[in-house]
Amino acid sequence: MKDDNKYVEIFNLVKAYPNPYGDPIRVVDGFELNIRKGEIISIIGHSGCGKSTVLTMVAGLNEISHGSIAVDSREISGPGPDRAVVFQSPCLLPWMTAFNNVMLGVKKVYPHGTEQQRREICEYYLSAVGLGNSMDKFPGEMSGGMQQRVGIARAIALKPKMLLLDEPFGRLDSLTRMELQDVVLEILDREKVTTMVITHDVDEAIYMSDRVCMMTSGPNSKVGKLLSLPFGRPRKRAEVLEHPAYYELRGSLVQFLEDESHDSPADEVKESEEAVA
Amino acid sequence: MDSGGLSFSNLTTKFETTMLRPTPEKTKTPSVPFKYRLVKAIDVAGLNFLTPVVRLCFGEEPRKQLKDIGLYIVIPILAMIFGVCGWFVVSEMVVTKSGKLPNPSETLAAAGSIWDFHVRENDKLSAFELTGAQRDARMAAVESRLKELEPLEEEINKEVTEEGKRAEERTQQRTAALEKKYDEVKKELDSAAEEREKALKAKSESIDKSDVDAKKAYIADVRKHRKALDVAKERLRDLKGRIKTLKDLKDDKLAAVLRKQTQIAEERQYLGKMKDQLTKTNRDLKVAGAKKKLDADLAAFYDAEPSKMYLAASKFVKGESRIEKLKSSEYAKPSTLPFQIKRSLLCVFVGFFIGTAIAIPLGIMCGLSKTVMAAMTPIVALFKPVSPIVWLPVCLIICSAMIPDPDKHFFTQWMWNLPILGKYQINPAFLASACTVALCSLWATMTNTALGVASVDEDHINVARVLRLGFWDRLFKIVLPSALPLVFAGLRISLGVGWMVLIAAELLSSSEGIGKYVWDQFNNGGSRSFANMVVVVFVVGIIGLILDRMMVVFQRLVSFDESPTAV
Repeated sequence: MKDDNKYVEIFNLVKAYPNPYGDPIRVVDGFELNIRKGEIISIIGHSGCGKSTVLTMVAGLNEISHGSIAVDSREISGPGPDRAVVFQSPCLLPWMTAFNNVMLGVKKVYPHGTEQQRREICEYYLSAVGLGNSMDKFPGEMSGGMQQRVGIARAIALKPKMLLLDEPFGRLDSLTRMELQDVVLEILDREKVTTMVITHDVDEAIYMSDRVCMMTSGPNSKVGKLLSLPFGRPRKRAEVLEHPAYYELRGSLVQFLEDESHDSPADEVKESEEAVA
Repeated sequence: MDSGGLSFSNLTTKFETTMLRPTPEKTKTPSVPFKYRLVKAIDVAGLNFLTPVVRLCFGEEPRKQLKDIGLYIVIPILAMIFGVCGWFVVSEMVVTKSGKLPNPSETLAAAGSIWDFHVRENDKLSAFELTGAQRDARMAAVESRLKELEPLEEEINKEVTEEGKRAEERTQQRTAALEKKYDEVKKELDSAAEEREKALKAKSESIDKSDVDAKKAYIADVRKHRKALDVAKERLRDLKGRIKTLKDLKDDKLAAVLRKQTQIAEERQYLGKMKDQLTKTNRDLKVAGAKKKLDADLAAFYDAEPSKMYLAASKFVKGESRIEKLKSSEYAKPSTLPFQIKRSLLCVFVGFFIGTAIAIPLGIMCGLSKTVMAAMTPIVALFKPVSPIVWLPVCLIICSAMIPDPDKHFFTQWMWNLPILGKYQINPAFLASACTVALCSLWATMTNTALGVASVDEDHINVARVLRLGFWDRLFKIVLPSALPLVFAGLRISLGVGWMVLIAAELLSSSEGIGKYVWDQFNNGGSRSFANMVVVVFVVGIIGLILDRMMVVFQRLVSFDESPTAV
């Protein structure tokens, strides 16, 4: 029984870290979210609120303390190529060329394809992110933006059920960031992959996603508010910016974040969460 | 996981439509100019002191480059010159029973004669094997050289006698003044002593028999006299000593002529031996002679009376086997230093590879598994500090026990018949030295490998987890490449340690090699052996340096922060 409205189902998700001097610290406590098939959802919140923890739990890289996550009606256990991750740092293997970095995953996902088919897949996705001419470069020879492009190509080439982007543009300058946002959106429009984007940039959240999920400040953070965006796809930056509802939506997002920061918890808790995540 | 969901036909259609979209990234990177490729190559080779020279040749910031050349080339050269000068000075001061510490020029001469010895031994070997026209040509060359040498030798002998005489004259000139002074002083002192003695004897007659005080005073006088005699003796001895040092002073001219004489005598000796190798002891000629004798034996056998037939036949058969032996005989070439160096290098690499073959897998296991690490830590800690001097006897006993008789054992026989390795005569002493090298050098590689494997970037591990890479993929694509720079850093340390250990091991195990060469020189105590040992100091140092540089280059080639294909 498949339900496209609940393609990804996150139910009562809890992440607790042991605390030697008291009860376990629940960084994420009762996070619940359903994602439609092909939907792009942004998760936004103050730094240290547990956004990344949620993402790594969905990716399977971080153990779930309570609750469950199901993707395509199957509960996840551990990491896997069906949930591809683009990390904040590109995380390329520096001893392999861009092409081989992508090929590493492609080989794993298409074990029955011929060498020629795999090669075409790698070349296709690398040109899709605009690296058609730099496939044989090593990460050390590429700029941060180019490396992140390889990271995106590597993730999407896996043909994942779900794409997890963990502040993918956080370390890039604003021009490169905008360029890459468009690259990602273009690919996602074509591939229709269900996507979760972690961000702390309000404009990025509005521009890229169909829905924005705002998280309350930690600890014990959960979904504070869900905001559906009325923009269609494919998106044009100018259209989004000129949309009559844009400033109202942006305002409500910023308002939520400001409200959250008033009763923000002690800093050390944030730090400990960040360190573990 | 999800591979079933994708159909390739879909992908291909998509591929056709979208592949050709224009790429925003800049096109083709411009090719790197020759200058930068050269600089990079120099950098990877670890010869960075050459970089300013290259940059200066391309006219880049001449002042800065000149400053760098001064710092990285001129100053080291000056330091070396200073060191050599210091060596000259120190060598004059260090005088031992086995001679003066050789100075740089003597050391250089010793290196030259080591090389000459090597070349001549190789000549003798080839002369032994020469046949036919080649042998005749060589013989002619040797004889003409001998003829050339004859007058030279006569001349030098004459020169030596003359120079000897002259040197004696020179010595006499030098010492004449002192000797004259010695004679004068001696005469003076002797007469003074005589006078004093006379006076004392005269005094004794005037002393009253019962005058105790006078007698006591007399004793004091005699004591004074004896003391004066001692002082005079001491003074004469001192003068004599000064004369002796003047006489012993090395006569440079005579020494130079003598050196020349030795050189010519050595060459004559070598040519004489060459002549033998080409005639009397030449293998081919010996075989031919034996064949002639065999033919005679055969004829004798056919003519023999029945009663002597047995003896004649056995003589013939003996002759046959003798020919076979002669045919396969070899010139027993003494080991020369270049051969010993090669054997030492072979030994250190055999040991190094044994050590590496043990250290890397163990290191990987330690790095991957905390259990293995916990199991290995005490073992490593226990064996790491053990000295090669302790390992060697243990290894020697084990290797000798495994190969009790190298002349008959199948392994050594097999090794000795190998085409290139055969001539190095791998024996238990060699294997024991190699094992000692392995045991002493593997720890650095092992600990570094374990560290490298254990400290793989968390992000890279996450990539492997997301891709669900299998154990071997994870090992060969993620873990090993990222550990490789540290592994090579360990290998570099290991090879350096191995080279140091090897010399000591060879010295103790008498495995033919540099260590044994030093030991032989130490024991034979010839006039040149001290200089030869100093030569070996430099040989060992230079080879160690080259091995180290080699490992640095490998290390840099596998370091991924420098992309490996760039050079």
